[in-house]
Amino acid sequence: MHRSSRLAIFHYWVAFATFLPAVLLGAWQMLMRSPLPAPLDDTAAYYASVTLHGTAMAYVVTTFFIMGFGYAVTATSLGRPIRGMAAAWIGFAVCLVGTVMAVVPILAGRASVLYTFYPPLLGSGWFYGGAFLLIGGSMVWVALMILNMAAWKRDNPGVPVPLPMFAITATAILWAWAAAGVLLELVCILLPRAFGWSDLIDAALGRTLFSVTLHAIVYFWLMPAYIAYYTLVPRAAGGRLYSDTMGRLTFIMFLVFSLPVGLHHLFMDPEHGSGFKFLQSALTFGVVLPTLLTVFSISASLEIAGRVRGGRGLLGWIPALPWEEPMVLAVGLSLVMLGLGGFGGLINMSFAMNSMIHNTSWVTAHFHLIFGGAVVIMYFAIAYEMWPRITGKPLHSRRLARAQLWLWFWGMLITTIPWHITGLMGQPRRVAAFDYSDPLMARMGPLVIISVIGGLLLLLSAILLIIILARSHFGPVERSEPFGYAIAVNPPVRVPAALNGFGLWTAIVSVLMILAYGYPIGQFFFLKQHSVPAITSLPESGRRP
Amino acid sequence: MASDPNRLNLDNVWSRIGWGTMAGLFIVFFLIGFFVLGRVQQNGPLLGSWAAFCRAVGLTANSEPASEPQPPRRTPTRIAWTPQILARVASGNEKHGAIVALTCAGCHGQHGVSSIALFPTLAGMNPEVIYKQLDDFRSNKRLWGGMNAIASVLSEQDSADVAAHFAHQPGGLLPVAGEGVPESGRSLRQHEPGVHLVFAGDPAREIPPCAACHGPDAQKLGAPPLRGQHPEYIEGQLAAFAQGMRQNDINEQMRVIAHELTPDEMHALALYYGKAVSHD
Repeated sequence: MHRSSRLAIFHYWVAFATFLPAVLLGAWQMLMRSPLPAPLDDTAAYYASVTLHGTAMAYVVTTFFIMGFGYAVTATSLGRPIRGMAAAWIGFAVCLVGTVMAVVPILAGRASVLYTFYPPLLGSGWFYGGAFLLIGGSMVWVALMILNMAAWKRDNPGVPVPLPMFAITATAILWAWAAAGVLLELVCILLPRAFGWSDLIDAALGRTLFSVTLHAIVYFWLMPAYIAYYTLVPRAAGGRLYSDTMGRLTFIMFLVFSLPVGLHHLFMDPEHGSGFKFLQSALTFGVVLPTLLTVFSISASLEIAGRVRGGRGLLGWIPALPWEEPMVLAVGLSLVMLGLGGFGGLINMSFAMNSMIHNTSWVTAHFHLIFGGAVVIMYFAIAYEMWPRITGKPLHSRRLARAQLWLWFWGMLITTIPWHITGLMGQPRRVAAFDYSDPLMARMGPLVIISVIGGLLLLLSAILLIIILARSHFGPVERSEPFGYAIAVNPPVRVPAALNGFGLWTAIVSVLMILAYGYPIGQFFFLKQHSVPAITSLPESGRRP
Repeated sequence: MASDPNRLNLDNVWSRIGWGTMAGLFIVFFLIGFFVLGRVQQNGPLLGSWAAFCRAVGLTANSEPASEPQPPRRTPTRIAWTPQILARVASGNEKHGAIVALTCAGCHGQHGVSSIALFPTLAGMNPEVIYKQLDDFRSNKRLWGGMNAIASVLSEQDSADVAAHFAHQPGGLLPVAGEGVPESGRSLRQHEPGVHLVFAGDPAREIPPCAACHGPDAQKLGAPPLRGQHPEYIEGQLAAFAQGMRQNDINEQMRVIAHELTPDEMHALALYYGKAVSHD
């Protein structure tokens, strides 16, 4: 078990070491966009910074954290060492090399193309190569998750796969599908142009391929939080999981409903017809099912825990919960942010309403609230839960950990609520500087300043996180109870084959993907040429007005 | 996983639920997206099913933007300052022009120096201006009863010839000196409103200085020199531009500028340019 722990902890360290500077960049970007003076007041630096912040948070932090989490879950939930340790370390090394390869050109200002790449913008080939290695390297992890689950099923015929392993394999399959879009875009469109093998760039096809990734990747990030909801939270709260079957259904539905829906990121793009946009917009709403199922199951699980602890009456179980546990506190804060962000998301995914807020700071606010808030706060809780168990060193201070979670929660709300409002006022996202003397912009000034305060709280919280993890890591070794998962009220004895594997669901996803994306991608091969010259140089850098 | 024996077997209840739900959702959304919503247009009749389907997949027979009936396009003049036009103007024959000019003398005076304020002095006017105005009269881009009739019987070569003739007649409009830099006393410090407009314009109203095109400092192609013109004529033309009665300025610049001028300013400008005559 020790070797699996080392593997997980190395992944965690890369994730959190990247996390802190990325938060710092985010705070500086907010200062740049605000009426306040910012150090290094340069718009070119801003776009490089947006690229670095996005790449670090969207690809590096998440991929490394989830890979580490996956290895830890595999070893602990199956109760045996991971098969394919050598391959796992090779995958880790490839991802690490890819990260360095991608980060250096961004720092050099040679790849300010944002993490969504935005062809026909074109950056350095090293950046795309690095992104390819990072994302491609994580496919080793995908294969290992699937192989470990398959091997365990072979060795334990008729026994239900433990829910955490089932869920992390769903995550891996989801990521394989999602990554296919961006990997194809990199190999077929961006890398050939970046290395000068072709003159033109098919921007429309590139954007369509990326849209395959763009929504599913969000669920890839979200899955560890949901796995924690189902398998860690009930135990931390001192209760049991309400239903194992609901958990399996949730992860299956996430797999199905997160993939044939990416065109809702291209509502304003002219290269697709309205029919496919509506179809995928409507399918996006399917994600309401697993989300509501989860809110119900987790509330029920927490109610069980609260009543076991002596809570009485209709809502008396809520104060009875052990809120001093970082995991329980985190799930409470996470669900609040998930609720607020989720309602905002309904507007983004609606074919018609999206046009009000398309490419405004509303969108930035939405995904920061959902991912940066609801999901990342669960990453913190997972780290606080797992770190002591896999290092054998207890958490440095639970009080400090709770303070860190609260700081993150308030920081994220104070940051994103003003963003939602300025987005409705029409403030575009991903713009370095605004002329706040313009009457139209002037009324947004105070809101933007408030959001900067939120950003500083987030930075403070991120520093606190690293302090807590570092002091725990270098603290004394103490005996602690072994890591374990929540037990269901009715532990599964026999589950239907469909809820114990992914064959049926992979087949359904394949058919849905062909129906939803077959024509939108296929049209580029028989309709008129969509390629355009690439834009290799960005506007001159300059100071803000 | 691949080991799952029931994965595509429709006897299995989970297979039926999975495939059935997905097929149901897909068919409902497909029908709504491709055959219901696609038929609705914001301000038009419902489209047919086939048209709606084509629109839903992003194909349309007519990919032009929707258009409303547009009034016929109106151009202010037929003349553009192409090398061909300029070569034709330059080819004017003064001697033949003098014969053509006999027709003009009745109103525009002997040698093009008009003694009646209603008619402009032509002597000293640059040939491009005369050529363009004659063409505008011929094509009814500029309306003035008698001139439209006269211009309609002149050939293009006649126009160039008569333009060359009047351009070289002395005693009319003062030539543009092209001094460039305003002399002392003509700059922004001018307090007399008319003179201030001539040399500084009024940036707040987006009025450029008159002198930038009409002299005395500089001359732009197509803009007549004004020093020595009848003040009443200048004032009348400014009023015609302001009211849209005269519309043959190529880039609408005179209509825009004149629209911004007050009657007092028009009068002051006319007097400034007209007064130059009395100095001679």
